[in-house]
Amino acid sequence: MFEIISTFVAAFLTLSIFSFLYKDNPFYKFAEALLVGVSMGYAIPLVYENVFLPYVYTPIFLSHKFIIIIPALLGSLYMFRFSKNLGWLARYPIVFGMAIVGMSVPMSIHSSVLVQMRSAMLPIDGINTALIFIGTVTILLYFFFSKAHKGIYGKVTNVGIWFMMIGFGASFGYTVMARVSLLIGRIQFLLGDWLGLVR
Amino acid sequence: MKRQIPLIIIMTLGFMFVAHSFIPHKISVDFFDWFQDWAKAISPFAVSLGIMSLFMVHGTKIKRKVPNWQYSVITLAGLIFTAFAGFAWGTQSGTPYMWLFENVQMPMSATMFSLLAFYIASAAYKAFRARSAEATVLLVAAVVVMLGQVPLGAMISKWIPETSTWILNVPNLAAKRAIMIGVGLGITATSLKILLGIERTYLGGGD
Amino acid sequence: MNKNVISFFNKIQNIDRRYIYIVVAFSIIIPLLIPFNSRTYVTKPTEDIYKKVDSFAGDENKAVLMSFTHDASTMPELFPMEVSVLRHCFERNIKVFTICWIPAAAPLVDYALNTAREDFDVQSGVDYCNFGYKPYVLRLPIMLGMGDDIAKAVETDSQGRKVENLEIMKNIKNYDDMNLVIDFAASGSALQWITYARARFGANIAAGVTAVMVADNYPYLQTGQLMGMFRGLKGAAEYEKLVDVFAAYESEDYPNGRPFSKEVIKETRVPITGDTVPYKYKKARIGMNAQSVAHIMIIFFILLGNIGYFITRKKEL
Repeated sequence: MFEIISTFVAAFLTLSIFSFLYKDNPFYKFAEALLVGVSMGYAIPLVYENVFLPYVYTPIFLSHKFIIIIPALLGSLYMFRFSKNLGWLARYPIVFGMAIVGMSVPMSIHSSVLVQMRSAMLPIDGINTALIFIGTVTILLYFFFSKAHKGIYGKVTNVGIWFMMIGFGASFGYTVMARVSLLIGRIQFLLGDWLGLVR
Repeated sequence: MKRQIPLIIIMTLGFMFVAHSFIPHKISVDFFDWFQDWAKAISPFAVSLGIMSLFMVHGTKIKRKVPNWQYSVITLAGLIFTAFAGFAWGTQSGTPYMWLFENVQMPMSATMFSLLAFYIASAAYKAFRARSAEATVLLVAAVVVMLGQVPLGAMISKWIPETSTWILNVPNLAAKRAIMIGVGLGITATSLKILLGIERTYLGGGD
Repeated sequence: MNKNVISFFNKIQNIDRRYIYIVVAFSIIIPLLIPFNSRTYVTKPTEDIYKKVDSFAGDENKAVLMSFTHDASTMPELFPMEVSVLRHCFERNIKVFTICWIPAAAPLVDYALNTAREDFDVQSGVDYCNFGYKPYVLRLPIMLGMGDDIAKAVETDSQGRKVENLEIMKNIKNYDDMNLVIDFAASGSALQWITYARARFGANIAAGVTAVMVADNYPYLQTGQLMGMFRGLKGAAEYEKLVDVFAAYESEDYPNGRPFSKEVIKETRVPITGDTVPYKYKKARIGMNAQSVAHIMIIFFILLGNIGYFITRKKEL
């Protein structure tokens, strides 16, 4: 019985959100407001148990690593983020987290630029590798705005546009697929878990 | 000083990280271990940002009795009750906290996104037009890829999935690779700007 | 052109969007209510993941890490992938770890583990281990830390146990052993694994992504930075079939599953109607039926919209 009520609540809230398709209404507004609150409220005990206890409480109070008090105090400065006069204090925990971008300087150059360029420079051994080469170069030229896209240069960058259009078409096709898949999931819930029509 | 000291910290730590990427020396390893411990201890407090901003936004709405302020009460009540349930009865499966997740949070957040299926179908009908040669190419590529992904496409002709794979592996690959190289350079440039103190928006306003 | 035709197209060009919504809903509801057997073609990006995971079968010194970076909103696409990979690992006695980076993913990990493990005699801390929720800001430190020492980087598992004391950690120290990371996400989060875990430590990275991200990931697939990729619901359906055909296969010759073979997968059809396969292991394949119909319907919409556009435009000219 309890399970039936639970599934009914989930189905009711699902339908409340779907009701927005007809038009905005109090059921949708209620569900939306509840979702925002529950999502945030849900994170608090989870962070407390999974992050605060093992990384702050245990090291300080059980393992007596008192040095951890410093980063804990640093972290608590986040709370001043919205204060008019003391907002600057929140910069300390923020910069501490941001510093790791230092790693991304060599690492992103490696994975997104160098490895990709290396693969773009393979010997052209067929029509496909030739097309990939032409596409990559013409699009890179298209994004070079220091020279006006006119004359022969304009024609070359135009080729880049065609390649991009095919790329965007592929992305659009997959986006349609993704959205439909999500709806399928919800309808599987309504028909299966709630109404028991599919199993 | 309110800006300078944080900037000095990020520059120092940031360049130590650049060095750490190249130097596997013990000092470098110890530095990283120290950073890990500190970053872990700082991290739980970040959640307070979300809670405070939610309370501020909805608290103001309730105080000023703006239209539909009642829904803000529901948001805050949902937040307080869910958090309370987690602390009072635990977070294991079978508790009220998990019940709220499974029957309230999970179905609603999944449904929110599934609405997009309706919108994309309506957009396909009303806005996806072959207005120019380029738009036609985009449209044809999209249709072939859509057909290529589903069993029905292969039933119509074995060329459909094959053409779809070719589109993805050749022209799409070239397009995405060129964009990726640009983005990669952009990430690197932004990271360097942060480390050198040129990009400072993350510090927020004020002195 | 006939006036009636033009006025008809004019009318349907401006049709209320809610009629379109009704058609969308029915194009999904009907194929789900009346399931039919359609063929699932297995593609290389999924096959590569299967083969890599399967190469760890029965090996004490190897493990798979499943990284969850999504919430319930994209569950319909990603959840069947996760359940299939777990089922594969449990069927073939492969050590598997799970970790998640956003609070809303934590129960999804449990849900996936519970769904898959109920059919197997597996034990937490021995056959699998859930490292639990780690905040997103710790992602990089942990990702990099695991390159040296996994137990030190994650410290505790979801039940608060010290990871270093768990039996599963025997012979598993870093990415050399936990040699495959599969990141399930609705965003480009696999890029971080590629940038850090792969570039620095040489870990094999695979991505389980929602279809939205698929086209963007092709450059990584071609360079081998991604060794494989689940491409949305179709990827999930393909893996479900692979596990059915090989890992879960039982016969006298192969009591614990049979090795991968291109010929076998090409020729084998697994019926999804009837009770041969439990519903939870064929959910993506049933979903793909509805996907077929919905795609045809959307293509029909595109065509109809364009025909209407050209006819009414001609009149304007």
